[in-house]
Amino acid sequence: MFARTIQRSRLMFRSTAVRLSALYILLFALCAAFLVFYVTAMSERLLSQQTQQAVQEEVTDIQRSYERGGINLLLRIMERRARQPGANLYVIAAPNGEILAGNVSSVQPGVLEEEGWTDVPFRYEPFAEMGGPRFHLATANVVKLDNGLRIMVGRDLGDPGRFRGIVRRALMVALAIMGLGALVIWFGIGRNALKRIDRMSAASQKIMAGDLSQRLPVGRSGDEFDRLSDSLNAMLGRIERLNEGLRQVSDNIAHDLKTPLTRLRNKAADALDDNREDIRRNALEGIIGESDQLIRTFNALLMISRVEAGSIAAEMSEVDLSAISADSAELYEPAAEEAGLALTTEIEPGLIVNGNRELIGQAIFNLLDNAIKYAAGSPDGPRITVKLARSDGLIRLSVCDNGTGIPPEKRKEVVKRFVRLDESRSKPGTGLGLSLVEAVMELHGGALELSATQDDKPQAPGLTATMVFPAPKL
Amino acid sequence: MQTTFPHSAASQNSADAKNAADAIVPHMKILVIEDDLEAAAYMTKAFREAGIVADHASDGDSGLFLGTENTYDVMVIDRMLPRRDGLSVISELRKRGINTPVLILSALGQVDDRVTGLRAGGDDYLPKPYAFSELLARVEVLGRRKGTPEQDMVYRVGDLELDRLSHEVRRTGKEILLQPREFRLLEYLMKNAGQVVTRTMLLENVWDYHFDPQTNVIDVHVSRLRSKIEKDFDKPLLKTIRGAGYMIKDEG
Repeated sequence: MFARTIQRSRLMFRSTAVRLSALYILLFALCAAFLVFYVTAMSERLLSQQTQQAVQEEVTDIQRSYERGGINLLLRIMERRARQPGANLYVIAAPNGEILAGNVSSVQPGVLEEEGWTDVPFRYEPFAEMGGPRFHLATANVVKLDNGLRIMVGRDLGDPGRFRGIVRRALMVALAIMGLGALVIWFGIGRNALKRIDRMSAASQKIMAGDLSQRLPVGRSGDEFDRLSDSLNAMLGRIERLNEGLRQVSDNIAHDLKTPLTRLRNKAADALDDNREDIRRNALEGIIGESDQLIRTFNALLMISRVEAGSIAAEMSEVDLSAISADSAELYEPAAEEAGLALTTEIEPGLIVNGNRELIGQAIFNLLDNAIKYAAGSPDGPRITVKLARSDGLIRLSVCDNGTGIPPEKRKEVVKRFVRLDESRSKPGTGLGLSLVEAVMELHGGALELSATQDDKPQAPGLTATMVFPAPKL
Repeated sequence: MQTTFPHSAASQNSADAKNAADAIVPHMKILVIEDDLEAAAYMTKAFREAGIVADHASDGDSGLFLGTENTYDVMVIDRMLPRRDGLSVISELRKRGINTPVLILSALGQVDDRVTGLRAGGDDYLPKPYAFSELLARVEVLGRRKGTPEQDMVYRVGDLELDRLSHEVRRTGKEILLQPREFRLLEYLMKNAGQVVTRTMLLENVWDYHFDPQTNVIDVHVSRLRSKIEKDFDKPLLKTIRGAGYMIKDEG
């Protein structure tokens, strides 16, 4: 328990929060000390100004009395004032500095020789002082009379250490209060922060152990820690999704590539067993075809996952969708015609998005491949239409056919990797075409929408695959 | 069906390709920089069968050395190599003023890699896995590039003439009307007359899309073009090379 406390406090001193508050407290203490000294100096100056003014008035008074009544009046006044209770200094001195009358027994040498205000407080010894320190500090005005005598009027400043003592005590008290406050704050903040960080690292440990569904705790205050946890959680979410995608891909590969690989192997075994040249040749050609198909599947898978990971995002530029649509229609038109389909276009000119031309092209080609595959043999004259139009801030590129279509409940399903509807299993294909289109659309901040071309004809509803792009701001 | 399985591809197409290579490029010498020894051995053997002498280097440094010391018509460079990666080999060669056409082979093989490869100074790019017929066709086109004057304004194959300036196509003096895309298709075929041109190369150079056309879209375009240039004439010019692609050639 005790060791734990020590360890905790050691950790606490290592924490940034504590180090920062220590720095702040140090700076604050320096400022406080400066402030105390400044205020002291200012009030001292004010006090001495007031003193000087009062003394000056007294000196003028005394000088006037001397001019009116000569030395006798001067002596009388000085003695009367000196006897009054209080701490004023009155001295009449000979030109050589010897004290002739007054309430002071001695002053710091040299003070009486100088005329005017003493520059710095000087020491003097008052009369008949009982107890207390022998020397006092004073400030005074010295005036030379026309007969050579000097008079000095001054004010006692008291014990030399007294004032400084008061200042020092005030400073100590202030610093002590600050220190105590700082400790309390340290403990409060440091402990709290440390606890939260402990909780966060505990959660991270679990995540590192493989539980990607774990999330960091988020408080309600929305402070820096919560914001950090929030963004780390968002990051974890992304990692989890990517990881999930990866897992799904490997599952799919395991399931869907095993079949063609087995087929490949069997064909090879058959070819090995058979001695007839033509059959052998056929089998080998079959093997090549099978391998080509596998390689295509691998390439398509690789492409989908790379598009999904967003690694092609860097290659985005302005892409003329109208041109791509027209080019694709032109590329597929002869193939469509050969398959007995009519391919027409309704393309709005000059529509431009920010995207990757190759990927968009590949996506349209996939949709056109599908359309040709599934529209052929439609009862009401097989047709494909490529449409491109802008509306409501969206650009829609559709490939519409009038084939058998996809039932609404299966439209979500067919976009998934390797999903092929039973009716299409007999046709060539990887089951990855629509997955790639969807991945490409996600990369472009858009979506792939599947709908029926003509709902009113249940025999041949057809499929309209629409690539929805967000229109760039004009 | 395009073959992708290398061993059978070689035995199947090299005869056709060899004839073409012997006729046009009798002594092409190329350098293959590839760290997969099995693939490299297969490649050099298959190239030899097609009449091409292939030197081999198995890492980037020795490849750079060979490429600097000797003169080659084409270099085939794998992107991922020990010691020095393929792209750095290419930029180093270019820095030394060696402008031999380079074909980059890559297992990465995606759109962005293609762009970075060509930016680094490559002239063509082929993602793995590839069919040897595809590699051979591209190497021959690259090797021929030096000899083909780009400024030729009229391409001729037998009695077929294509005027690149007026966009007119004539055969035995009779004008043949082509769609713009058909014209570009024929232009590319005639520019590489006597050489095998694959479907992927056609999609790249005529439509400017860089992937393997998985359906017969290109074939239909070619057969339309073929019917226009051959329908009313005796001699066929545009041949289908099985498992590889197409070639336009005057059999004389």
